[in-house]
Amino acid sequence: MSEPVIRMEKIVKTYYLGKPNELEILHGIDLSINEGEFVSIVGESGSGKSTLMNIIGVLDRQTQGRYFLEGQDVNSMSDEIRSIVRNRRIGFVFQNFNLLPRANALKNVMIPLMYSQEKKKERKEKAMEMLEMVGMADRATHKPNELSGGQKQRVAIARAMVNEPAIILADEPTGALDSKTGHMVMDLFHKLHEEQGKTIVLITHSQELASETQRIVTISDGEIIREQEGRR
Amino acid sequence: MFWENIKEAFSSIFSNKMRSLLTMLGIIIGISAVIIITTIGNSIQRTLTATLNSLGGNTVAAYVQPRYPVTDEEREVWVYPEMEEDDYVTQEMVDGLIEQYSDEIEGIVAQATLGTGQIRDEADAKNFANVVVRGVTPEYLKYLKLEMPFGRSFTLADNLKEKKVCMLADKMVSQYFGDKNPIGETVSVSTSEGSFYDFVVIGVYKYNEAAFGVGDTTIPEKERSTELLIPLQTCFRLQGGHQKGYDMFNLLLTPLADVETATIHISEYFKEVYADNKNFEVETYNMQSGLGMINTVLNVITIAVSGIAAISLIVGGVGVMNIMLVSITERTKEIGVRMAMGAKRSIIRSQFVIEAIVLCLIGGIIGILIGVGIGAILGMAANFIVQNMYSEYANYIIMEIRPSGTAILLSVFFSMLTGVFFGYYPANKAAKMEVIDALRYE
Repeated sequence: MSEPVIRMEKIVKTYYLGKPNELEILHGIDLSINEGEFVSIVGESGSGKSTLMNIIGVLDRQTQGRYFLEGQDVNSMSDEIRSIVRNRRIGFVFQNFNLLPRANALKNVMIPLMYSQEKKKERKEKAMEMLEMVGMADRATHKPNELSGGQKQRVAIARAMVNEPAIILADEPTGALDSKTGHMVMDLFHKLHEEQGKTIVLITHSQELASETQRIVTISDGEIIREQEGRR
Repeated sequence: MFWENIKEAFSSIFSNKMRSLLTMLGIIIGISAVIIITTIGNSIQRTLTATLNSLGGNTVAAYVQPRYPVTDEEREVWVYPEMEEDDYVTQEMVDGLIEQYSDEIEGIVAQATLGTGQIRDEADAKNFANVVVRGVTPEYLKYLKLEMPFGRSFTLADNLKEKKVCMLADKMVSQYFGDKNPIGETVSVSTSEGSFYDFVVIGVYKYNEAAFGVGDTTIPEKERSTELLIPLQTCFRLQGGHQKGYDMFNLLLTPLADVETATIHISEYFKEVYADNKNFEVETYNMQSGLGMINTVLNVITIAVSGIAAISLIVGGVGVMNIMLVSITERTKEIGVRMAMGAKRSIIRSQFVIEAIVLCLIGGIIGILIGVGIGAILGMAANFIVQNMYSEYANYIIMEIRPSGTAILLSVFFSMLTGVFFGYYPANKAAKMEVIDALRYE
């Protein structure tokens, strides 16, 4: 079997290491996600799922254990290489969108391309292409405060996709949306997964959303307590 | 990436206009103060130079003077030597000098007065004009910067061949000839010494009070004398035979010549020519050497003001640093998002340094504009005062109000430097943030 996109071995995350209030959040997580999988990580708040997501997203470092992203040991990478990994290999979708307020939709989508030093003309072309894919091309010049929540999240998904990452990491992407727009966003993820074969990791506390994915990983108190197949 | 950073900086600065303006205030005040003071200094310098040049700044004066004794014993027996024919500077010496330094020296500015006299119209006794007959070299006319509405000026040939030609003042011509064209007419001058001279009019010059003076205002306009200019050699011949040479004269320099260098060349030339002369030597002098001291004083003032400006730049810079720190705290989340999107620390750092530079540079440019504006207003005021001055000296003053280019360039440079210096610490603080902390910052 080929190397999984994500392979985690006994990941431990401890906060306030060596201090009296030392706190272990993750107690040795083993997790593998294969290419083209749509996986959801489910857990109550405080279960450690966000911490796990930060480690998967190369935003944070584990205290112990090993994490291989596309076969590369992430922990041994320098800050600079980690920036490049975040830029090229991971597409983030956040609960609160995290679009830059002063930039319009197109500029927001262009940000990852700017950091990967794409040529200016190509940046624009690629970003427009992504906006078209999420159905936001006609809003390219709108600023985030001129867009609805669902529209913002579609722009954010376009931004996550623009550098053709290995995985899309979506942290409660529907958390700030009403259920109707939330479903539209979920449909978009399904479309990306089915049509483009993207590897998607969805972090959510909602069992209902999770059940739409291929595999559901349930975390509780910093441990994986259950792995089950979803409906798709 | 660089341009994106600059655009980003502008968008950030303009999204907080009032705050940015207040932040820039220190820099604006500092820079505009420097520009105002340097504009004043520069204008004084230029006005003095231009005025002195118009009064002979681009000439070098030369005169024959005795070799004074050096030692006490020599001084005891020394008598002031009598100037012999051989001691004068001859036309040949001057020609040799001009030939040797033709790129620096245009010619000799010399004049001699033949006498005062009157031109009388034989047909109409009431029609007369009082004149001062003056021999001049062609360069003398250039030196006076006379305008020539009609006819031509003297040539070297007119001078060398001692031709009996003359140039008249425009106001004398309109008074004496009326509408008649004076060119080619012969005028007869009877001098107060009883001599009669005939000259052919070849040109008319515009009478210039700055060059010739206002004249005696107590007598009627009609009776006031104007200059009747004739070639210098003609004047010498009419004075009675051969001219011995010059004992005192000015050399007109070419517009590109450096006065100091030319003075040294002239001095060296005559040192050689007079090497064998035991009693006399040629001394040179230029007006610009007097400017040196004034310039030194002005430079000291400029440096002192620049020091004060430096303090204001530091104060302004601290303000910039403070506001950058605030801005970075406010934008922690944005920094986190950018880092999550793949921005390296170095990029975050340069983004904020560039923002600080742009902020300071805008302040600097506003300061320059204000400084130049106030300088221009002060200049206009000075011009107004000079023009309304009841003094004949006012005619000689040539005002040149101009901001100092060096000061403007240095202002741009130092405001940018302030940005780098006071922007680096906040920018570095931003760059050192941990991506996860910045992203989760609320």
